[in-house]
Amino acid sequence: MIDWLAFITVAAVALLSSVIVVGFYALGLRLLGPGENTTTPARRTGAVACFAVCGLAVLYGIYLIVPALH
Amino acid sequence: MARAHPSIRWRIDPATGSFRPWATSPLDSTAVDIQLMVALVIALALFFDFTNGFHDTANAMATPIATGALKPRVAVAIAAVLNLVGAFLSTAVAQTISGGLIREGQDGVHVGPELIFAGLIGAIVWNMITWLFGLPSSSSHALFGGLIGAAIVGVGFNAIDPGVLMSKIVLPALLAPVIAGGVSFIITKLAYRLTPPGSRHGFKVGQIFTSSLVSLAHGTNDAQKTMGVITLTLIAAGFQEAGSGPEFWVIAICAVAIALGTYMGGWRIIRTIGTGITAVKPIQGFSAEVSTAASILASTHLGFALSTTQVSSGSVIGVGLGKDRHSVNWRTAGRIAMGWLITLPAAAIMAALAALVANIGLVGIIIDALVGVGVIVAIFVRSRRSKVSHESFSPPINVSSSSHEPLMGAVESVVLPKAARSLIKKNSKAAKTR
Repeated sequence: MIDWLAFITVAAVALLSSVIVVGFYALGLRLLGPGENTTTPARRTGAVACFAVCGLAVLYGIYLIVPALH
Repeated sequence: MARAHPSIRWRIDPATGSFRPWATSPLDSTAVDIQLMVALVIALALFFDFTNGFHDTANAMATPIATGALKPRVAVAIAAVLNLVGAFLSTAVAQTISGGLIREGQDGVHVGPELIFAGLIGAIVWNMITWLFGLPSSSSHALFGGLIGAAIVGVGFNAIDPGVLMSKIVLPALLAPVIAGGVSFIITKLAYRLTPPGSRHGFKVGQIFTSSLVSLAHGTNDAQKTMGVITLTLIAAGFQEAGSGPEFWVIAICAVAIALGTYMGGWRIIRTIGTGITAVKPIQGFSAEVSTAASILASTHLGFALSTTQVSSGSVIGVGLGKDRHSVNWRTAGRIAMGWLITLPAAAIMAALAALVANIGLVGIIIDALVGVGVIVAIFVRSRRSKVSHESFSPPINVSSSSHEPLMGAVESVVLPKAARSLIKKNSKAAKTR
């Protein structure tokens, strides 16, 4: 029995979570700009927020990996 | 001590309610000391765990090493620690090693220690051969293949559940690169679209976290298979209660074995994934690792287990395609795909041969062990020989020297994949003429 629904779910979840992590990380880098002095405080805050989203995603990954946490 | 499996034992078949004889292996009637067998199996299982370690370092660490996000020695040290930690975190998978592939346990066939022994020999030899050729083949497939081959010789074809073989091995092997490659293709395009060229060096920092996440996910999975093999053997030999989980000492030695193997690096496979498929840039390395981590975590938690090795290779192909389809070395990708296809049958055939020899009895077991050690030593000696010759092409991967500069130079050079290819061609030619 081939569980195609599970396959599609896995593909969709993997895609969605990857798009979130890579999207926010790339956005954060874009806001930071190429050098230290090319950014404004507002952009900097935005970048930190973007990286925070990625950090949370990695923490959620660790939460999923470690069974003792759930 | 009572013999764990006398030559014939009758039991009630739970499905039909009728009496049926245990399927016993031919060795049961000969006098091979069960303690010796168990010790041999544990030693072999640990060595398999060790090969599993260096075979799979590349899954997490090939891309950060290739982009220079992590220095080679640092990368393998992080991977080793996370594999060590990961092995202690979870033992859920260890309960059933083959995931129902071999009808083991109460309502199935009796897989004795000598069959597990033969299966491990097949798996180890295949892992060593694929390592020699730098092929990132799945260690789980090698293990399953080895156990299948041995079970077919010992018990017959009815030992294998073809439906499970299809749904748990063949189909995931075909779908893993599709999922991981598709995801990494899309996110690479997205990442290139979102970042101006000047901002892309920041992906290197991110790679440290994403590759570590892949490493930890790997650590919670792979050492468990060896724990499962050892626990199954202890149960089969009557040293441990049926249905119980792995003992702490088993968890500890398996964790150490896979961590040591991981620290060895498996540089040939790292080279194949990191520089052989495509010249990975940090933006691609980050995308590949995110795709690998997301695919593995989604698959293990949503019930469609995918092989880490196949996912990570698929991700790297995907990031190559996402940048430029001409940047993918399809010959290397094709060789990797071939490796995936033949891993299970190849390990099965070698394990079947080992099982046939083991059927002779104690002499057969000794022959198996000697031949196995001989093959491993021969492969190692051969690897030393070609190591000297490829050092001149790829000094950055030269781990024996004291300098561990990032691999940027190797990535940038077009010479390396060609050199690697000619090396492998030379190897296979030499192997044929032998």
